[in-house]
Amino acid sequence: MEWTKCAAVAIIVAIITGLAVYYSVPPRIVEVKVTPTPTIAGAPTPPKKIKAGFIYVGPIGDYGWTHAHDVGRKYVEKLFPWLETIYAESVSEADVERFLDRMVQEGCDVVFTTSFGFMDATIAAGEKYPDKLFFHCSGYKRSKNVGTYFAEFYQLYYLNGLMAGALTKTGKVGYVAAHPIPEVVRHINAFAIGVKEVRPDAKIYVRWLFSWYDPAKAREAAETLIAEGVDVLAFTEDSPTVVEVGEEYTKKNHTVYTFAHYSPMLKFGKSSCVSGQLVHWERIYEDIMAKIYSGVYNTTNLENVDYWWMLRQGAVELGCDFGVPINEKFIPLLKEKKVKDPVLGEINVYDLVNVRLKQMKEDVPTFDPFTGPIYDQEGVLRAKPGERLGHDELWTMNWFVQGIVGKIPAAT
Amino acid sequence: MMEGLEASLDAAVRAGTPLLLASVGEIYAERSGILNLGVEGLMICGALTAFAVTYSTGNPWIGVFAAALVGGLLSLIHGLLSISLRANQVISGIALTMFGLGLSSFVGRKYIGIPINPIPKIKIGFLGDLPLIGKPFFQQDPLVYFSLILTFILWLILFHTRIGINIRSVGENPEAADAMGVNVYLTRYICVFLGGCLGGLGGAYLSIAYTPAWIERMTAGRGWIAVALAIFSLWDPLKAVIGSYLFGGIEAIQFRLQPLGIPASLLGMLPFLLTIAVLVIVSKEVMRKKIGAPSCLGIPYARGEK
Repeated sequence: MEWTKCAAVAIIVAIITGLAVYYSVPPRIVEVKVTPTPTIAGAPTPPKKIKAGFIYVGPIGDYGWTHAHDVGRKYVEKLFPWLETIYAESVSEADVERFLDRMVQEGCDVVFTTSFGFMDATIAAGEKYPDKLFFHCSGYKRSKNVGTYFAEFYQLYYLNGLMAGALTKTGKVGYVAAHPIPEVVRHINAFAIGVKEVRPDAKIYVRWLFSWYDPAKAREAAETLIAEGVDVLAFTEDSPTVVEVGEEYTKKNHTVYTFAHYSPMLKFGKSSCVSGQLVHWERIYEDIMAKIYSGVYNTTNLENVDYWWMLRQGAVELGCDFGVPINEKFIPLLKEKKVKDPVLGEINVYDLVNVRLKQMKEDVPTFDPFTGPIYDQEGVLRAKPGERLGHDELWTMNWFVQGIVGKIPAAT
Repeated sequence: MMEGLEASLDAAVRAGTPLLLASVGEIYAERSGILNLGVEGLMICGALTAFAVTYSTGNPWIGVFAAALVGGLLSLIHGLLSISLRANQVISGIALTMFGLGLSSFVGRKYIGIPINPIPKIKIGFLGDLPLIGKPFFQQDPLVYFSLILTFILWLILFHTRIGINIRSVGENPEAADAMGVNVYLTRYICVFLGGCLGGLGGAYLSIAYTPAWIERMTAGRGWIAVALAIFSLWDPLKAVIGSYLFGGIEAIQFRLQPLGIPASLLGMLPFLLTIAVLVIVSKEVMRKKIGAPSCLGIPYARGEK
């Protein structure tokens, strides 16, 4: 009966390997079918087709970063009949090189890599394939055929901070943060600057998850902050958990206000979620793709192509749902709270938010939250009065402004 | 101080419940001699099933039931491979984890970003007002109570009934058990199925009670902690209660310790360090005999072969 045993083992191994290979989500390439768009008779046929590859660090089923990029990808694919896209999700840093090769082999003219950790591999791919274009999201290294892009939130965090400062009763505001990296530090600082503009005596408490992606941890961090007397919560993490916790407490007559992050989360916290930050990667992707198609971008001139898009370009939007900048429920509360602004005079916080929003949307923004004087926790002057922190200072920020409790832990 | 302790205990119970359910399930599977490393996959499928069914029926209890069923059925794949076909249990279990993670993210796409009504918490009369233990143990959602009652019942069965002796003997010495007239295959299948059901329940707790939303890979490695817990608790459901709340507590308390500068990564390692310590202790033959570690764990049983 030895052969049956062997056969059985062989079949099992085959099944397991098959299943493992087929279903092991990290990582797989998904081919996206393109539905041909009917062309109007007589219209000039597009001269060429462009194939774009997207390499994502997370699953497109998170409720944040990768999901938002994928919304952008789908948008441009629908918008441009000459565009075909493919994507790979849950690609780890160690694997990205292989996926870059694969995307090029599959005939991509341009590849987008959407994680900070993909930076060096993307630059290397640029050298390896000098006739292809690459765009790396959130990095700072560029070359003649590798550009960078980012949709930045700090203006929105500042606006959220203004509202948080108006709403907090305890003067304790919480922040559930993913990783201690410059991007998150910058957002916490912007949020704190907003809070303190309205409520100078407020303290901002931060808890770190050391994970982009663990709802259970986010819940415990939020619960801990609430237990310490915090009554407003903002966060950087890829799930709606913090908003849910806020909603739960608010329903139990223990009001906790929350600010959504990255995706529309109003539906998770109708009586808790005040506002938040939303992204429109499609604005950036649209611009890049159009410029590639029209030949503005080619394999020799990306050295200085760095998208750092914010409110003005429509890459980000204030709100906890698209088209809902502020949950209507809280507008009266925000109108009640008045502050004295050296320029605007006495103004209620609702109006202040709108004025600032308008100022930051102008072609040359007439306001920026990171305008001096700004002191860090040690009392060091980081921006002289009237001075605005530039792109590089914001990009490498590794200090907290005053009012934030606790130190930045060493990055992991 | 008292308040902080109560809050920490409360958090430990919350965070420990999914671990408890899954690890008690794993204890049953391992007691019968089947190592199931697919717990992570079972939990994530349970989480998705519970969420999806709760969303479409509006009734979380149907969701809980469906999650247990799906967990049980999926674990039967492992059962089939490891019991009937005598495949390598480690490989089969890991395949099940990968299968579960992939399947759930594939099927779960359309449930992302949808809110549901979570299972409400129920306060048990005056017990809920007790100092210190009131909030952690008597103001929770019904799944917490259910997990505790179930664990106790399963402990009773395992150590104080004929069925329990059969299960343990199958894991200890299947030939002898077979000779005594115990159906080794059936016993193992039942234990693996039950273990899968509990794994599914652990996942359900995550997606409809603890953090009510469907997010891909929301189990975030808790299935592996459950496997470690089964060993840590020396294959004893009652000890698993303590172990689960301890491991859950470690996870929850890190945010309270953070301001003191205690690194979270250190605390994250703690469950596994403790498990390694326990493994070292029980590696001694005398200790193994004393605690009754299933000595045929991971070894396929072939009837009538030597």
